[in-house]
Amino acid sequence: MARKQEVQQGTLALMILRTLDVLGPLHGYGIARRIEETSKSRITLNYGTLYPALLKLEQEGFVTAEWRQSENNRRAKFYALSVAGRKQLARETREWHQTADLIAAFLAPRLGES
Amino acid sequence: MRHIRAALARVAGLFAGPRADDDTRDELQSHVDMETAENIRRGMGPSAARRQALLASGGLVIGAEAVRAQRGLPWLENIVADIRYALRALRRSPAFTIVVITTLALGIGANTAIFSVVRGVLLKPLPHRDGDRLVYLRQSLDGPGGENISFSVPEVHDFRDGAKTLGGIAEYSQFTLILQGTNDASRLNVGLVTGNFFDVMGLSPVLGRLTRPSDDGPGVPPVMVLTHEFWMKRFGGDPAIVGKQVKLDGTPVTVIGVLQSAPFFPDRIDALLNMVISPHHLSALMVQGRTHRMTEILARLAPGATVEQARAEVAAVYSRMQRENRESYDSASHYRVEVIPFKEALGERARLTVWLLMAAAAFVLVIAAANVVNLTLMRGVGRDQELVVRAALGAGVARLRRLLLVENLVLTTVGAFFGVIIAFGGVRLLTSLAERYSPRANEIRLDAVTLGFTLTLAIVLALLLSLVASVPREGTLGGRIAAGARRLSGGLQQQRVQRALVVAQIAVSVVLLAGAGLLTRTMIQLSEVPTGLQTEDVLTMQVQLLSLTSGFTPDAIAASRTGYDRIQREVRALPGVIDVGLGSTMPLQFQEAQLEVKAEGRALAVGEATPRAEVRTADPEYFRAAGIPLRHGRAFTSTDREGSGRVVILNQVLADELFPGEDPIGKRMAWTGDVLRFTPFTGDWRTVVGVVGNTRDGGLDAAPRPAVFMPFAQELTVGGGLVIRAQGQTPSLVASATRIVRAIAPTAPIENVLTVAQIKDQSVAPRRLNAALVSSFGILAVIIATVGIAGVLAFSVSSRTNEIGIRMSLGADPGRVQRMILGEGGVLLASGLALGVGGAFFAARIIRGLLFGVPPHDPITLIGVAVTMAAIGIGACWVPALRASRIDPAITMRAT
Repeated sequence: MARKQEVQQGTLALMILRTLDVLGPLHGYGIARRIEETSKSRITLNYGTLYPALLKLEQEGFVTAEWRQSENNRRAKFYALSVAGRKQLARETREWHQTADLIAAFLAPRLGES
Repeated sequence: MRHIRAALARVAGLFAGPRADDDTRDELQSHVDMETAENIRRGMGPSAARRQALLASGGLVIGAEAVRAQRGLPWLENIVADIRYALRALRRSPAFTIVVITTLALGIGANTAIFSVVRGVLLKPLPHRDGDRLVYLRQSLDGPGGENISFSVPEVHDFRDGAKTLGGIAEYSQFTLILQGTNDASRLNVGLVTGNFFDVMGLSPVLGRLTRPSDDGPGVPPVMVLTHEFWMKRFGGDPAIVGKQVKLDGTPVTVIGVLQSAPFFPDRIDALLNMVISPHHLSALMVQGRTHRMTEILARLAPGATVEQARAEVAAVYSRMQRENRESYDSASHYRVEVIPFKEALGERARLTVWLLMAAAAFVLVIAAANVVNLTLMRGVGRDQELVVRAALGAGVARLRRLLLVENLVLTTVGAFFGVIIAFGGVRLLTSLAERYSPRANEIRLDAVTLGFTLTLAIVLALLLSLVASVPREGTLGGRIAAGARRLSGGLQQQRVQRALVVAQIAVSVVLLAGAGLLTRTMIQLSEVPTGLQTEDVLTMQVQLLSLTSGFTPDAIAASRTGYDRIQREVRALPGVIDVGLGSTMPLQFQEAQLEVKAEGRALAVGEATPRAEVRTADPEYFRAAGIPLRHGRAFTSTDREGSGRVVILNQVLADELFPGEDPIGKRMAWTGDVLRFTPFTGDWRTVVGVVGNTRDGGLDAAPRPAVFMPFAQELTVGGGLVIRAQGQTPSLVASATRIVRAIAPTAPIENVLTVAQIKDQSVAPRRLNAALVSSFGILAVIIATVGIAGVLAFSVSSRTNEIGIRMSLGADPGRVQRMILGEGGVLLASGLALGVGGAFFAARIIRGLLFGVPPHDPITLIGVAVTMAAIGIGACWVPALRASRIDPAITMRAT
């Protein structure tokens, strides 16, 4: 079994935004599924983590939520990226890349180190 | 932006209501359903699929709760819930709530009010720039009237040249001027100041400008700066006042500015002027006379200098001054100079009284808090069950503690709220008290700092109450729940705490009562001091017809003599008037100025201080009208007039000092000393023709001041006033006598229109207020303590109902049970009394300075207080003891 990983503060929001960006409007179950799959099951989200995060994004105005019929005729609450959310995603993606580059540069093996 | 939006959304979430919860539940449920369907699709059985989905969810309730927490502001919701709960709990026990809030309101109210006085009068930083760098210099010598003799200009110069730790020395000379209105006149207390005064004092104008060095010296126009208080009082805060002219002693003076609000010392003043208004202050006499002391010194410490350094330097300069001018410093009179931080000088007279009141208020609060703690403890026992039930339902210890804390906070803040309302009323009363002691009384107010103090008190009390409440310790909840038994008496330890609190309450009450008793006895002793006057039904009226600045020209003197004669004649003709005397000094009042005197043919013994006496005048009727008894010789007669032989009348204390063991009549005395040069009096020998009794002119608690009376008609420059004795209707004379004076001297100031009884009362009134305040605190304390001891015993009885029932069924008779309970209370009472009397001994030593005619360890007071407290205490024990003895064993046993 793959090692479970704690969801880092702030990264969950980015994951959710990215998921909605890629897949379009989606319900909580779909988002959780997608994140699990993408992380190769290293991340599982329980409701107490996922739904407060969704609500927070909604409060911040990055996603909108609305009840709709799902593909197999169930009622579910669908989340969609707002304009502000798209900008936020772009910004956070950029920042994340910068941070990753920086850390990578720091942790790179030194010259002469075998 | 995003944070603001999120915050707003969360605040809105507070009011989302149950529909939002339904929404969440539906959403989570749909998640479970979808996951279950997916699991079935993967081949699980329906129930296993559902189980798996629920497991993955991490708990629907927990999830919903987490969403809820994100939706609103959970901490706020919790606090609101706690407050709502606290209010409900308090409403359920209204008696407890009312008693606690009332007790706290009284305690907190008293402390808030008194603290506002302590702060306003003693603690608040001075309004002066760097006010803590200001010092006041005081020259004093032995004997009555020598407490503050101020400085002469040469002395000021010596300090200015010699004391480098004093960065700036401002001169300030107290003076009175007559302000002429359109149809009246009033006397102004003014300060004549040097140009550097305001700079040294660090004061700024609110309007116009202040005096500056260019206003010094002769040949400049007189200018006036109004104090803020006087500007408001007399000119209604008129902003157009600057530049206007007023007439002071007949001279037009320009108002150049209004000073910021600031306290003055040692006198309250209305305005400050440059010296030029008083030619005398610029004369060679004043400027060169070392003994011509009319100037107060206020100085600012040089940068870096400390008060200690200034003291040392001033002392050195002063002793050099004394060495070089031996004739100006009678060595036997012990001339000395103190350097006092200005703020301390301002608080000097108020300090002891104000701290006494603060201590008394603090004591009341201690007793009140002890009572509330006791009540809380008793209530806590009854609530054990409630807390256990809450714990069983899932409240953690932390939550329980918070609940209690919120409840106590509600109690104490509501108490504090009512306390502040009480304080608002109290502050007004206290300000009028403080005005008698402190020039800073107008700075007393319930400001933010005071209210902060109150809030702190409330919070500290709430914490204290929460600490003593019995909350089960972490991990013991289970045991408590399992036990489930009802315990009524609380633990042994809790009982000990309660008893200790009762003992403390009694002890503190005794201390307060002892203080109240001593102060009350002081007040009674003081009002019983014989004034030396034969009657108090005398009206006095200071009427100034001649003033220093108008000049003592022969014409002016003659005119004022005629004026006084006419006034006397016409007042005497008023119905009911028996005697009308004229004199410089009204009975029970005194003259600031003292001069050195000598007796003919009597040399001072080595080390004997030169006698000093007040300069007064009296006409032939004065002593009879004032009710001052003539001890020897004769009163003045109409033949003691200008040009006739120089005669004087001494008061007894001076006669004894000048002519010990001799008959003074016919002997001669004279004014003496260097300072005589600066007065209108000569050093001629004057024959003593009479001796009058001493009167308590310096206050009822002060020794009689030596005084020399000269014939009024011979020395009009000393000033004058009317002493009117009438048949019974003294107050009704005020109007008619004032009318007469106004008709004869339209612009002369009329002041101190008071009966002698009123003057006397002014001497007793502050003590009476002191005694009344401390007594009311004492009574309050006793009431609270009585409730405390009765409450604790009653509680003890009700929790021992079983035990008592058993005892009685085994044969104890009611009397025995009663004695048992009384004994229990008696031990508490006795320990409290013993501690309290000990404390009173200690406390009385501290307030010694406020006592008069009563030794600090006055046995009558202490015994009286102890007996009173014992009687009240036994009374308080009696009620629960009686109840205990009436317990019916049959009923109690069945109830178990």
